[in-house]
Amino acid sequence: MKYYAKRLLDNKKIMSTDAKELGMLEDIHINAKTGSIMDLVVSPADGLDVAKYQKEEDYILIPFSAVSAVKDYIIVDKDKAKSFMTR
Amino acid sequence: MRTELTSLFGLDIYTVNGIYVGKVVDLIIDVESQSVSGIVANYINTDVFDVAGDGIIIPYRWVVTAADIVLIRDVIRRFQKKGDD
Repeated sequence: MKYYAKRLLDNKKIMSTDAKELGMLEDIHINAKTGSIMDLVVSPADGLDVAKYQKEEDYILIPFSAVSAVKDYIIVDKDKAKSFMTR
Repeated sequence: MRTELTSLFGLDIYTVNGIYVGKVVDLIIDVESQSVSGIVANYINTDVFDVAGDGIIIPYRWVVTAADIVLIRDVIRRFQKKGDD
């Protein structure tokens, strides 16, 4: 499926596969040369334990490889998202 | 090189030969291939692209790099009509 980036950034809620809300999508990191998507920049939901996620300032970074589905929400595999490895 | 996707919005697009192409309005994200597949551009240089609508979609594989401007490969020749030298 292909999406317009602006529409994706408007439709911002990120959910994990165990039905928890992780936060809101703020931005997406890409490799400008190759166009490959690296990670989602997410402002974490209140009460989310961010200790295991890669962080950038107040945001958490979720590797795009952890994304399992994009439709009304962006669904993320929590175990993959927590890994510190971003390829 | 890691770039924030929103930082690309509004950037000017030029070919490597310095010809103005247009402005980035949006990007197309392909979820399966985990990549940006295209750039939606408007304010198109109508000397180069014979467009009827508001904008064009440039395949991202044409992009050489993107920072303060977006550089794309020189595609102009390919769009010239045959015998139009």
